[in-house]
Amino acid sequence: MSVLAADNLVVGRDDARTCILDGVSFRAEPGRLVGLIGPNGAGKSTLLRCLAGLAAPEAGTVTLDGRPLAALPAAERGRRIGYLPQSFHPAWDYTVRAVVELGASRAPGAALRVPAALEANGLADLAERPWSRLSGGERARALLAAVLVAEPPVLLADEPGASLDVGHRVDLLRRLTLYARTRTVIVVLHDLERAVRDCDRLVLLDRGRIVLDGTANAVALSPVLDATFGIAFHRVSTRASDVSTLSLRSGSS
Amino acid sequence: MRVVAGRPALLALALLACLVFAACAGHRWAGPLDLVRALAGDPDLGARLLVAWRLPRILAAGLVGALLGLGGAIFQGVFRNPLAEPYLLGSAGGAAIGATIALLVPLGIPSSLALGGLSFAGAWAATLLVLGVAHGARDTAGLLLAGVAVAAMLGAVRSFLMLALSDESVSLQVVLSWTLGGIQTPTWDGLGLLAILVGMALAASLPLARGLDLLGLGADQAAAFGLETGRFLRRAVLVGAFVVAVAVAYGGLVGFVGLIAPHIARWWVGPRHRALLPVSGAIGAGLVLVCDGLARSVLPPAEIPLGLITAAAGGPFFLVLLRRRMRG
Repeated sequence: MSVLAADNLVVGRDDARTCILDGVSFRAEPGRLVGLIGPNGAGKSTLLRCLAGLAAPEAGTVTLDGRPLAALPAAERGRRIGYLPQSFHPAWDYTVRAVVELGASRAPGAALRVPAALEANGLADLAERPWSRLSGGERARALLAAVLVAEPPVLLADEPGASLDVGHRVDLLRRLTLYARTRTVIVVLHDLERAVRDCDRLVLLDRGRIVLDGTANAVALSPVLDATFGIAFHRVSTRASDVSTLSLRSGSS
Repeated sequence: MRVVAGRPALLALALLACLVFAACAGHRWAGPLDLVRALAGDPDLGARLLVAWRLPRILAAGLVGALLGLGGAIFQGVFRNPLAEPYLLGSAGGAAIGATIALLVPLGIPSSLALGGLSFAGAWAATLLVLGVAHGARDTAGLLLAGVAVAAMLGAVRSFLMLALSDESVSLQVVLSWTLGGIQTPTWDGLGLLAILVGMALAASLPLARGLDLLGLGADQAAAFGLETGRFLRRAVLVGAFVVAVAVAYGGLVGFVGLIAPHIARWWVGPRHRALLPVSGAIGAGLVLVCDGLARSVLPPAEIPLGLITAAAGGPFFLVLLRRRMRG
């Protein structure tokens, strides 16, 4: 049961005049899939990298169960926070098994779970296949297995299905949803329809600030969403009190 | 699994074949039976020369080759680039400046100590410089250009030092032939020291294997998997500089072995560094044994500098790799 919290995070741009993150405060707990949404350049990936301890904010702190992330040894941070990047290009042609074993090497005992992780992600037959000979979907599953094999209590995923077809994307989100039942999971998503459908909570970022934070339904129904993206969303509800599908209508609001 | 299990035996056999070739090669070729007789204590002059001169020389060549192969694998892992090599990136050039100073300036300390210490300092500083300059270079071309620029600068400094510091008491010819790369016949004590240094290099390198594997996933993913990348890189560069410095101190500037050996090793045992590091060292040993044998036997009675042979073989290899990589 790990709680990840950000307090007043500030990250500047190179020009030093504007901010990528401008005073972001945020707290995520286990049991709810949290979706980070927002237009391009809103600061979603930067926020996720700060939460993962891969980027240092210029001001503010990230804490994991009350302990500042910056003070955690890298090995412990790697064990407790799983990070699924947007893109992943290994320098060497590792096999699927090697990538998953490297993911397992960060937690004691995780090496024993490698066969199960391969099996659970449908990779048992591909274990000895080199990375260069995998499809996009297979690579995404292999990386997910490498991140999850250590069973980190926190999982951060940056647009994990960006390069996948719709079938693989749905499958990946289903796995993340399952994982979020007992752990803290934050996922950056561009696909708003899926974000509304699959996430329990949505955090809307715009120009480095959180402009909306609430249940998926509340965020989906808010006019702030339309204003942030600069378009009018057409909302389709299957039940009167529940928004289950969100579709976009062209034209500005 | 049977193939994998047989690999160490196959490697040992190949290394033995290279050793026998190197022992036979020379301006007077010896046969395998001559070797056996010499090792059995044949009092004949030729047999005694074989044991007293050629044997320590080829053992030194093998050990220097092992360091070059090991150093190449470490460098490629640190730079996450299959074209990284101590010679091409200026690290060996840095060691050569240190060694040149040690050879030409009377420092009042034992020459072997000065040679080793200054070679190490030069290799370390040059590697840090290339790593710093290449930090922003995300592609192969950027890294190689940074390395070429540093190597060129260091080459100019070395040439200047050679001209400025040599006098009647120190033959420029000696330093020049050393920079072209070549194994001198060591004393048995010297060979023992080299063997200890190679053992130390291997012992210091193997614990880097997991970190180098993680770095191969990319700096971000390595950090996400718990690697303290900055601290690890500093440690790996220190070990790499030590390996390069010992190789340069004993063998001069020998290029391309550090490029070719890790490639063959990666093709053979895959990219995981726990196997790659020692196998690359063994393949480097085999390559230098063969090249040194050729250096002693192609133009008898003259000896071709070892560095010329490895460059002649390694240059085209490098160009093919570069072309393949540029094509993506």
